[in-house]
Amino acid sequence: MDFGFSDIQDELRGLARKILDDAVSASTLLAYDEYAEPRFDRALWRTLLDAGLPGIAVAEEHGGMGLGFMELGLFIEELGRSIAPVPVLAHCVSGMLPLQQFASADIQARLLPPAARGELLLSGAFWTGSVGGAVEPVQALPAEGGFILNGSCRGIPFARQADWLLLPVHSANGVAVVLVATDAAGVQMTDLQMTHFEPYAQIELSDVRVAAADVVMASGGEALVAWTREHCTAALCAQQLGAADRAMRMAASYTSERKQFGVPIATFQAVGHRMADCYIDVECLRLCTWQALSLLSEARAATTEVQIAKIWAGDVGHRVSYACQHVHGGTGIDRDYPLWRYCLWLRFNEVTLGSSSAQTAALGQRLSQGEGLFT
Amino acid sequence: MKIQFTEAQLALRDELRGYFRELMTPELRAECERDMGEGGGLLWRAALARMGRDGWIGLGWPKEYGGRDMSPMEQFIFVEEVMRAGYPFPFLTTESVGPTLAEHGNEWMREEIVPKILRGELLVSIGYSEPGAGTDLAAVRTSAVRDGDDWVINGQKMWTSLAHFCDYTWLAARTDPDAPKKHKGISMFLVPNSDPGWSCTPVHTLGGVRTNATFYDNIRVSDAHRVGELHGGWKLITSQLNRERLSLINFGPISELFNQVVHWARGAVYDEASTVAEQPWVQANLARSRALIECMKLIVYKQSWAMTEGTLGMADASAAKVFGSEGFIEVYRLLGEIVADSGLLRSHSAGAQEQAARIERLYRTASIITFGGGANEIQRDIISAAGLWMPRASR
Ligand SMILES: Cc1cc2nc3c(=O)[nH]c(=O)nc-3n(C[C@H](O)[C@H](O)[C@H](O)COP(=O)(O)OP(=O)(O)OC[C@H]3O[C@@H](n4cnc5c(N)ncnc54)[C@H](O)[C@@H]3O)c2cc1C
Repeated sequence: MDFGFSDIQDELRGLARKILDDAVSASTLLAYDEYAEPRFDRALWRTLLDAGLPGIAVAEEHGGMGLGFMELGLFIEELGRSIAPVPVLAHCVSGMLPLQQFASADIQARLLPPAARGELLLSGAFWTGSVGGAVEPVQALPAEGGFILNGSCRGIPFARQADWLLLPVHSANGVAVVLVATDAAGVQMTDLQMTHFEPYAQIELSDVRVAAADVVMASGGEALVAWTREHCTAALCAQQLGAADRAMRMAASYTSERKQFGVPIATFQAVGHRMADCYIDVECLRLCTWQALSLLSEARAATTEVQIAKIWAGDVGHRVSYACQHVHGGTGIDRDYPLWRYCLWLRFNEVTLGSSSAQTAALGQRLSQGEGLFT
Repeated sequence: MKIQFTEAQLALRDELRGYFRELMTPELRAECERDMGEGGGLLWRAALARMGRDGWIGLGWPKEYGGRDMSPMEQFIFVEEVMRAGYPFPFLTTESVGPTLAEHGNEWMREEIVPKILRGELLVSIGYSEPGAGTDLAAVRTSAVRDGDDWVINGQKMWTSLAHFCDYTWLAARTDPDAPKKHKGISMFLVPNSDPGWSCTPVHTLGGVRTNATFYDNIRVSDAHRVGELHGGWKLITSQLNRERLSLINFGPISELFNQVVHWARGAVYDEASTVAEQPWVQANLARSRALIECMKLIVYKQSWAMTEGTLGMADASAAKVFGSEGFIEVYRLLGEIVADSGLLRSHSAGAQEQAARIERLYRTASIITFGGGANEIQRDIISAAGLWMPRASR
């Protein structure tokens, strides 16, 4: 039982925080509000790639750092803290990681090194639906060792910016998983406008050809989907942790400065206590999230722990968002003050891949079957 | 970062589970039940002494006190398992007063009292609260007056739990009535409950737990019974309370209760067509409880780890206390809804079911630690100040 950071973990967190502090601020994020521009800071992305951070959990032979999901999660926590406009969740968690875990050596050798260098951008169709959500309605018919795809995907982050999309599809043998080039004939995208301004697109596929070489799993893709969604869910928890911690600290500083009735509003016990409740909430989210990351990093069973972390991520995100808005008064929702964007992200992380209620139902069902008890 | 037990820790846990399966005889269980989960009976005493002899109580203590030199984490695993087994472990003596005596006590305390505690042969009640001093503990009026080499103690304490079967009281007394700040004039004493000037009357509470009013009538003790610096008692009180806060939140029994309720719900009939566990609202209550207890577990593990590392923060100790105390109440409610009206039957009633009757009682006892051990308002004050650097109003 070790709750401390290793030297490498400390270094990575420090490095990420330094890069993000320098590059991301309310004034840089202003550019993307209301979709004025796609929310993708390519200069920052390049800096992060040069530091090797997106490749933290990619094996050294593929050009990554060869560390684990724990380290990637700690990096994502920092991204949540700064709500940085970069595609780490899409590219790393729903792209490189499942390829590294499930794809053939050929596909790995072809895609992972350029992806780790950032020459290719990946994303995947794993971010919609609730707990254990269904595979999007894309039908795959066999053709020349590959498939022909028809159907649609509701929402893929950074789809328009990506080079390749990892798609689970329905085939005669259950779920297959394929790579689709975003410029392939028959791929049509419609931009979505999400609450938090992240680039998302809906995809239509009409007779899209997938070559045999781009088939990641011809059958048995259910395992890849479950594995990836579990990692995506844990990544959202890490992102939520960073965002909630930051919003809470912003409120703590603000209430320590702002005076009413001649005293800092933080000195009113009711205000202090609401912030203390945020502190407890964030601590719970932190511990559950770190536990989920730690188990996944060691390739241990973590379904219960990920569900619990997401329950907390939803509840804590909602409570911290509203507590912080409240103790700021009008300033909290003034778009000239940095809190409001955090509220959008707290909401996005709360609902995506299963809200607290949905996760509660899923965990409850497992418990009722005798799974997930205390050991 | 590795949030899993090591192989050795898992082995220790299994060893302890085996040990307590054997130790907790039906007779001992019945006695503990009779004593409202407080202990104090003959079998309870004998079992405590056996744990001491077998080297469990001092697992995480240095060898010089008769301990086994393992870390606070191993000590914590022991306490968790002894509580999970349903034994009312006197953790305030062993986990909070004991360590404070070892750190601040004189030779007699370190060489005699502490080793006896670790052998399970000596128990200490805590004498802080008074009729006029609760949350504002520094308002204590019980006095200790110097008389030659001795001290003469007079006053009344309130809520002195377990005192009716403890050997000593860890007593906060005013030694400087003229101190400019009231918390600067307090000293700590170890007062023998066997003294003829000592007496107690029972106080019965909602949950069936007995506590006491204790009276100190011209009790004369030598200066060797004083602990730490003269008028420096406040530091010892806060140090003891920090440790107490940690041991109040123990997730062993509640995780065991949770598992039992799940097993019960899976077999219990709800209507002609379904079991209790098949009801969506029951599943939701189970999941909510499971998620809450998981955090309780992680919070206390993190604290044990931080104690091992020597990095335990004030805000985190308070967060554990607030979260745990309020979490217990929430879980008892959620699980109580599942057992429904069988959770209204007392344990001796006809038709009582073991788990449900336990919830009936636990639900009645759960408020104590939201105001005891430092009211949760005070803990939240500490969290916002020490955890978030927020200024607070002066008191
Ligand atoms: C079963 C039981 C066992 C106990 N065992 C022991 C024992 O072994 N030894 C011992 O010394 N004591 C013991 N206590 C006493 C316990 O520590 C006190 O009850 C506790 O300190 C609260 O004091 P009080 O009851 O006088 O309540 P009060 O101090 O009157 O407080 C009542 C409420 O007022 C509010 N309040 C008080 N101050 C503030 C503030 N600054 N800010 C905001 N709100 C505030 C809180 O809501 C608090 O809960 C025990 C009590 C019980 C019921």
